[in-house]
Amino acid sequence: MKIRRLPALVRTTTFRLALLYSSIFILFAGVLLTYLYSETAGYLARQADSELNAEFQELSAAYRGGGLDRLNQAVTERSSARGKFFYLLQNADGEKISGDFDVLPAAPPSAAQVVDVGFEYVARTPEGEASRRSAEGRISRLSGGGVLLVAYDVGELGEVNRRVTTVVWRSAAVGFVLSLIGGVVISRSAARRAELLARTTEDVMTGDLTRRAPVLGSGDEFDRLSEQINAMLAKLERLVISSRSAGDSIAHDLRSPLTRLRNRLEGGLKETSPEAQRAALERSIGDVDGVLDTFNAILRLSRVQAGASGSFRRLAAASITDELAELYEPVCEEAGLTFDYVSSAQLHIAADRDLIAQALANLLDNAVKYTPVPGMIRLLVRRTSLGEVELAVVNSGPGVPPEDRERVVERFVRLEQSRTLPGSGLGLSLAAAVAEAHRGRLSLSDGDGGPDAPGLTASLILPAA
Amino acid sequence: MKVLVIEDDADAAAFVKRVLVEAGHAVDVRGDGEAGLHQARDGDYDALVVDRMLPGMDGLRLLRSYRDGGGRAPALFLSALGEVDHRVEGLQAGGDDYLIKPYAPTELVARVEALGRRGQGEAPATRLSVGGLEMDLLSRTVLRDGVKIDLQPREFRLLEFLMRHAGQVVTRTMLLEKVWDYHFDPQTNVIDVHISRLRGKIDKDFNRPLLHTVRGAGYRLEA
Repeated sequence: MKIRRLPALVRTTTFRLALLYSSIFILFAGVLLTYLYSETAGYLARQADSELNAEFQELSAAYRGGGLDRLNQAVTERSSARGKFFYLLQNADGEKISGDFDVLPAAPPSAAQVVDVGFEYVARTPEGEASRRSAEGRISRLSGGGVLLVAYDVGELGEVNRRVTTVVWRSAAVGFVLSLIGGVVISRSAARRAELLARTTEDVMTGDLTRRAPVLGSGDEFDRLSEQINAMLAKLERLVISSRSAGDSIAHDLRSPLTRLRNRLEGGLKETSPEAQRAALERSIGDVDGVLDTFNAILRLSRVQAGASGSFRRLAAASITDELAELYEPVCEEAGLTFDYVSSAQLHIAADRDLIAQALANLLDNAVKYTPVPGMIRLLVRRTSLGEVELAVVNSGPGVPPEDRERVVERFVRLEQSRTLPGSGLGLSLAAAVAEAHRGRLSLSDGDGGPDAPGLTASLILPAA
Repeated sequence: MKVLVIEDDADAAAFVKRVLVEAGHAVDVRGDGEAGLHQARDGDYDALVVDRMLPGMDGLRLLRSYRDGGGRAPALFLSALGEVDHRVEGLQAGGDDYLIKPYAPTELVARVEALGRRGQGEAPATRLSVGGLEMDLLSRTVLRDGVKIDLQPREFRLLEFLMRHAGQVVTRTMLLEKVWDYHFDPQTNVIDVHISRLRGKIDKDFNRPLLHTVRGAGYRLEA
């Protein structure tokens, strides 16, 4: 199977997100720039406009109060005061009465109306230099037929206005381009990491279980995702390897009893006496039962490992071990071993009683099987230094060499010395699986014997509840 | 005993039938849930053996309907689902016992026969008696031929179970499940050791043994 290669940049999720974010950015920038404009250039323009209004009001009031003469007087006064405004007053025939300009910059409106105009004029400095300047003004037809122009120089204001407008537009354009570039860069780096992950899983799917996703150490989401994927791959690899070797071991482990069974049945066929035939059949049934036991053990182990087993509730660890001690004490005595049981009623675990009992029974079975007479087996419930609950089975047997301790927990692994004893090689695997299902672990360490026979302490170490 | 087997796998059904017929029982077989339910209602059976996974109507629903309809024959579930939760579900649906595949034929026979006995004893007994062995469940005392026998609590429960199933084969697994409530098989002969202790108490000082070992199967308490 082939994973589709990295699609066109534009189709990647990150790019689309980048585009979306740039659009949102542009929207926000637009709002901000509009606000900026209205608070600067817009404000100046509004202020100038309202001042022009006030000036017009005053002159209109003068006209209403004293007619054209009074207005002429006011205009002349104001014009010679060299204020902010320029004026032109014409009579009904279009002739200049007073003011700074000689002609109107635009056609006057018809009766009793007002018109706003923008125009250029030539200004002269006191030294006589001429320069073209921009102005804005208002022309009004007076009720008597005359015309009044009031204007102001927009030189500075216009400049500010133009600059602000330019800045706003340029910022918008640059912002859009920059955010697009940012989006592309981010999307490419994210896409590249996604591509790395995709390639890793692709390699794993083609069979290379040792491949791992790169972790850059930045601790970002991709790193976390990679770590998760790597943890998953590690578990997958372990399961695949263990099921692969378990498959081999199952075949191997079942072949010998099945061969033995076949030989026995064949031998039974040759027997002539009914008693001998019967004995052969009975032993054969024993063999088949052994095979069935192994199968059941494998099934149970798989279910526990798959986490599909058990109902967990808080219970006193001693409630489980009391019963097991009672079950196994006679067994130990029968086998010529002394049995010792020490527990504490205070320790609680969140556990499935049946699973824990089975795991401990496996450890006790092993202890009974491997401890030579005279010997000792102890069942202990105690608290570890880390506050966990330890359910330990200690024996005075030959122990397991430290280098073999990891191996004996694997499925079907049996040490050379024990191959001749009955057993499936699944007991410790199951105990370990049960411990893991309880978020704990199986620990193997020396018992309290001497150097010749160190013994073995096999413990389920479980979190306290 | 008259037993109805409801199992859709023809080979498995034939195997169960053969095993039970060989043990001397009359066996009918039905291959799906609907037919099985009708047959269970119509026929007067001493025990039902029901597979949990059936086409049409699964074993749990079948038994629930059967019990709702007043059916009283004890039932044994057969299942490849062996977890405690499944077992509990089976018992809640009205099952009396639960056997996980694969199983040994002797185990099946022993459990079916144990079920049949359960249907017969209607009134809760306060006294059990086998041969010269007497158990008083109220005062929790045991006498053999009039001689008091001291038992540990667990030994008492073990003997009680054996006496309730006197004359029947009881397997080690059954004892572990019913007396100790463990649903697994230890590798070592834990049950044998406990049986041998019990035997030492009830049989040792008397002429006639009551507690017999059935080779390849388990134990039987019989006068």
